[in-house]
Amino acid sequence: MSRKLRNVLHYVAVIALAVIVSAVGATAFEPTSHDIRPGPGVHELRWLSDYHPSLKGTPGDTPVYVMQGEEPGGSFLMLGGTHSNEIAGVMAAVLLVERGRVAKGTVYVIPHANNSGTRMNDQSPLTITIDGQTATYYDPYPLEYFEFTTPSGEARAFHYGTRTTQLEDQGIPDPEVYVHAQTGYELTGWESRNLNRAYPGVADGTLTQQIAYGITQLVITEDVNVVLDLHEAPQNYRIADMVICHPRALDIGLFAILDLEAAGLPLKIEQSSEGFRGLSHRELGDHTNAYAFLIESSNPAMNWILDPDANDYPDPLENMGSRVWLDLKALQGLLSTYAMFEPQEDWIELVYPFDLDDLEGAYLGDFLR
Amino acid sequence: MRRLNILFIGALLMAIGCSAMAQEAETEPFIFEQPVLITSIGQSAGAAQAKILALRAGIEYVYEQRATLEQLEGMKTLIVVPGASGKGLGAAGVDIDGELAWATELIDRAEELGIQLIVLHIEGQARRGPSSQLTIDVCAPRATHIIVKGAATEEDAAEMDEVANGNFDFMFSDLAAEYELPISFVGTTLDVVPVLQELFGIEADDE
Repeated sequence: MSRKLRNVLHYVAVIALAVIVSAVGATAFEPTSHDIRPGPGVHELRWLSDYHPSLKGTPGDTPVYVMQGEEPGGSFLMLGGTHSNEIAGVMAAVLLVERGRVAKGTVYVIPHANNSGTRMNDQSPLTITIDGQTATYYDPYPLEYFEFTTPSGEARAFHYGTRTTQLEDQGIPDPEVYVHAQTGYELTGWESRNLNRAYPGVADGTLTQQIAYGITQLVITEDVNVVLDLHEAPQNYRIADMVICHPRALDIGLFAILDLEAAGLPLKIEQSSEGFRGLSHRELGDHTNAYAFLIESSNPAMNWILDPDANDYPDPLENMGSRVWLDLKALQGLLSTYAMFEPQEDWIELVYPFDLDDLEGAYLGDFLR
Repeated sequence: MRRLNILFIGALLMAIGCSAMAQEAETEPFIFEQPVLITSIGQSAGAAQAKILALRAGIEYVYEQRATLEQLEGMKTLIVVPGASGKGLGAAGVDIDGELAWATELIDRAEELGIQLIVLHIEGQARRGPSSQLTIDVCAPRATHIIVKGAATEEDAAEMDEVANGNFDFMFSDLAAEYELPISFVGTTLDVVPVLQELFGIEADDE
């Protein structure tokens, strides 16, 4: 086959895919729904499309739970499910919505920040670069759902999704090279569907860019003081059990981890990189007034990323109580320390009807509604 | 005979007194002076943590993630936090060899200026890899005092989180013994605060 013919066929294939995607893509799927049972701490359900109307009805639209404090104060945004297979962050957000209350301030919780990623676990191979080494791996889990049994004996199912926006939702095929819109920073093509490479987003961009844009608009519109994006990492990876802070938020993070370590939760800490663009903590810190943080709990089931030859995959639900405890305990530490830096009228205080430390080592289902 | 006894007892008392004084002089802790320059060797986040610890200890300090020789002027103590971070070195635009050369130059200049050196290792096993070891080797043998988050003994190690233990292989213990350096071990990062207060002669706040 001549080179010219190959090129022609390549373009035909790309156009055909684009036609299929446009035909079944953004209009084919509605936002995935989830079994989340808001508790008395939730006062209002909004949608991300309230902040970016173009998302309305698309698979990128997602619920925003608004929790008003008993006293006025600052505002806080929690993001779970930026990567839909990093499920401790999702469950920490779910637990906050179902059992938490706000004593001071206003809290916005998005349990599934990239709702498109939750629709299915596509298990397609992804090229990942970690510490300068590039390799192609795939999520080996066939899971579509995972379950927790509540104290009443009910088994509740939660979506186990994929790291990225679904290809058919994105609106266009993956480019060969993803170029971050604001900085020109380049990554491999599929990263164009990675929400945590898309901030601060693009109003008329791809679905992923629009989700990032919507979240950025929420932070700006609601004058959010603190943002926390919840992620997970392989246990043996450098960033596991780490708080990553925007440079403006670093001192808050540094103070917080000292107290958290003394309280039995040792965490590592890093500052957002200047050169690694599109991440929530980097861009929301740069483009809004918020103190932006990201937490990486360690997920034993993600070790396949660093050990592609491993064939004995741990259960993704292993240590889930402790992983959620890490997220919520670290959040408590960050908000306490934030209060040392900011005036009382901007404080944010969360309370739970149980001791947070009871989560460590516990079965998470015992805490759900 | 009686006169001899009195002289002997007097000499003995004097000897005991001198010995006690000498012992007191030997055991009297070295008091470090302020202001303090805090910097990293290896560009990990540990130096930024040290800044918070110094603030909590009530020490007058200047923090610079990668200090210049000029910043040593007027300083009385230099606190360095060894620990190599590929990300940090990349952000600083240096490789490990460049970092070690700079660190040597900084410590040489500090010695010329009579500045005392405290080496503070607080990031546990995460900063005990081969590159981090180079950052330790370049400063620790020249320290006036070393502070390590880690276990001093096997018993302490058994009670300490393995990842947090920067002295898991007793490398710091051996180094301090070899170079006859005073060393303090702490169990948590926050425990560095009272050690710094003691080293700088600062009274702890009653809380």
